[in-house]
Amino acid sequence: MILSLLQILIFPGFLFLFILALSAEYIDRKLYARMQTRVGPPWFQPFADFIKLLSKELIIPELADRFIFKILPLVACAAAATAFLFIPVYNPQSLFTFKGNIVAVVYILTIPTLTYFLGGWYSRSLYSLIGSMRVLTQLFSYEVPLLMAVLAPGVLASSWTFSAVINFYGANGFLFLVNIIAFAVAIIAVQGKLEKVPFDIPEAETEIVAGTFTEYTGPLYAYFKLAMNIQAISVAALLAAVFMPFGYNLGFFLGIIIFLLKILFIIAVLTVVRTIFARIRMDQMVRFCWKYLTPMALLQILINIIIKAAVTQ
Amino acid sequence: MENNHPIVERIAAKYPELAGNIKVQSQNRLWMKIPYSDFRKFLEFAVTGLKINVFCMLTGLDDKENFSFIYHMADLNGLILNIETSVPKTNASIVTITDMYPAAELQEREITDLFGVAIEGLPEGHRYPLPDNWPEGEYPLRKDWTQDRLNKNPLKEKTEDCNA
Amino acid sequence: MPKKLVIPIGPQHPALKEPASFDVTLQGEKVENILVKLGYNHRGIEKACESKPYLHDLYLIERVCGICSHSHATCFLQAVEEIAGLNVPMRAKYIRSIIGEMERIHSHLLWLGVAAHEIGFDTLLMYTWRDREVIMDLLAILTGNRVNYAVNILGGVRKDISDEEKGQILKAMDILEERTKYYAHVATEEITIKKRLSKVGYLSPDDAVKMGAVGPTGRASKITRDIRAEEKYAAYGEVDFKVISDDNCDVYGRALVRVGELMQSYSIIRQLIKKLPDTPLKVPAPLKIPAGEAVSRYEAPRGEDVHYVRANGTDKPERVKLRAPTLANVQSVATMLQKGYLADVTIVIAAIDPCFSCTDRMIVAVNGKSEMTWKQLRQHSIDWYKKNRGVDFTKIKLGIRS
Repeated sequence: MILSLLQILIFPGFLFLFILALSAEYIDRKLYARMQTRVGPPWFQPFADFIKLLSKELIIPELADRFIFKILPLVACAAAATAFLFIPVYNPQSLFTFKGNIVAVVYILTIPTLTYFLGGWYSRSLYSLIGSMRVLTQLFSYEVPLLMAVLAPGVLASSWTFSAVINFYGANGFLFLVNIIAFAVAIIAVQGKLEKVPFDIPEAETEIVAGTFTEYTGPLYAYFKLAMNIQAISVAALLAAVFMPFGYNLGFFLGIIIFLLKILFIIAVLTVVRTIFARIRMDQMVRFCWKYLTPMALLQILINIIIKAAVTQ
Repeated sequence: MENNHPIVERIAAKYPELAGNIKVQSQNRLWMKIPYSDFRKFLEFAVTGLKINVFCMLTGLDDKENFSFIYHMADLNGLILNIETSVPKTNASIVTITDMYPAAELQEREITDLFGVAIEGLPEGHRYPLPDNWPEGEYPLRKDWTQDRLNKNPLKEKTEDCNA
Repeated sequence: MPKKLVIPIGPQHPALKEPASFDVTLQGEKVENILVKLGYNHRGIEKACESKPYLHDLYLIERVCGICSHSHATCFLQAVEEIAGLNVPMRAKYIRSIIGEMERIHSHLLWLGVAAHEIGFDTLLMYTWRDREVIMDLLAILTGNRVNYAVNILGGVRKDISDEEKGQILKAMDILEERTKYYAHVATEEITIKKRLSKVGYLSPDDAVKMGAVGPTGRASKITRDIRAEEKYAAYGEVDFKVISDDNCDVYGRALVRVGELMQSYSIIRQLIKKLPDTPLKVPAPLKIPAGEAVSRYEAPRGEDVHYVRANGTDKPERVKLRAPTLANVQSVATMLQKGYLADVTIVIAAIDPCFSCTDRMIVAVNGKSEMTWKQLRQHSIDWYKKNRGVDFTKIKLGIRS
């Protein structure tokens, strides 16, 4: 009992996640800056920002629903962190495990996005309203290819449980490279989930100020930002477990190091993507997701079904 | 300089009585004065006959008894035709030229705001360039206007709700 | 049917660097109508000009705009010099053109960055603004200042270009030319940029003439008008350059025109430096300008700048009127945005390279209260906050906490 409480609160739970999330933000910002020939922030900048935001004045719009307005950032944080608890870190077994937990994680990760939508909706500001409509439109576009891509490796492993998928690919050498198409699809779709360029449409600064977060200030905004960062880590861990299912049976320390390297790699890829593109328009995004991403994810599932049929025969 | 510019000849062919009012300052600068009653008719000729179809600038002038307006028009080859016309201050009203040159809209609003000249036929829209709470009856570019007039007639306090 | 929303873009908005207000009526994500309101930057420069001597006016007019300060000053001087019949020496004309071209480079690089930022491409913003520093430093070396160069005086220029400075200019041009080639490559190859800029903000050639579009905005709609080529003012008669135009008629075309003009500017500066004649820098100018009037045109980075000056024989002008390029261009924005998307509004506005300080210039910015002294002003602000915000500043004690 105490052990699992410690696991939830400290490792691999909230504290670990908190530090990891803010470090990931640092890495993202530093890399982004260096690629733009800027100096970039010092290592403690995300922590300092978080503390500073907590000490700022909290302003709630007059027309907003006070209770929902206040509770949403916490819900977002909690949902993003909960998803992480189901994802394996250094051994194939995650902290809490049950059958089909890959599907569960993907759905839990949708909750933060929904809170962004609700947050914007209940702010009752024009910019937030447009932002939240964009959040939803975007969700409907990237969620389908993302789900299909993440589930594709499981098709080959005949299971949608993390431990089964990891053990299956662990026993089959380099078979996980088959999923490369789904990995690419997932990386692009995740960019939409994390609202980063080229899919940062819901918070496009030059169009709708800060989108859904326009009215959020101080501590509430800090929690939303934290939720975003935790979400990034959770998503990276999910992709690492599903698409890079190796290095999970090497003991605690080596396992952690390999896990961190994988997270670092995914964060770096996401940063590179956001450095080299411009923001695209909502209609272009929707068209792109349905015209290219979804068929690609379907193709991956098809390939996996064929391979599976060939292997079992 | 001699009045032997091709444009001058074409104007003279159509309106012989105006030819004397044209001054050729250089190859690309023509100045002419025209009574306001003939102005619109001439402008129509300038658009269709002379292909002077770029509106550059509209200058308002306070000439003691009159308000004068210089319409600086250009063609696509670099010629500027400056047409000066004036209306008496007692009847300070001109007709818009936005039907022929839509680009003139903002500059006509400027004339309304800064000289207090009424422009007939100008579409509804925001005022330009003075602020919305500018006091009525103050026209800053008139020669007799000085800024201490605003002490007697200060800016209006705005009570409009910003969220409305 | 989605509900109609009116989104205010401005007077304060992250996309606008200067105050102007665009009320955009939306249907879903589509723009239905757009209402433009300008005038937030009115400072009364035209009225002020009438009450100051010509020499003071020059410095006042230089402050019409931060970026095209040299354009306005030169344009004004050309009109005054024409009335006074001054024959400006060639070397002064060359120097005016060199500074003018540098200003264009600095403005266009700035625009590229701003446009990239509007479409969320911050990497390009950081790159172009880094390169802009090269030209800003060069301007500081040549004139002592980064923005308001004040290199013009009535009848000539105040500062010469030495041989050492010539070398620095040529070196800077090489650096910038190489980088600009890279940006041209990025702008034409990068897929998201093309997607965001093509077919956005369409302005047909006919509309461009009708709405009076000038400069790069007009040239991107197939109107090959460039005042430098038309009027051959300053030293432009003695160099060769191409008038860049484009037939895309959209924001992408406007970007290509500006990149093309950057390349032309480098070549113009090189030619001018090479030919720089050896004449005096200025001719003596009278304090009183004889009666007369003149219109002067100048190709500012954003388009055609027009100044009208009427002199009445005294040392102060009778009337000064100026029309900045943005005033001509801003009226076509509503046409460009018809049937556009909300996402395109800011890039279309940015594509005319608006400079609202230039556009709004007249009225003396006094409201009745500016006659207050500092003390009264302070008291007024305390009262205002007490009445409207319920904050009593007199009770707040300032001090350093131990």
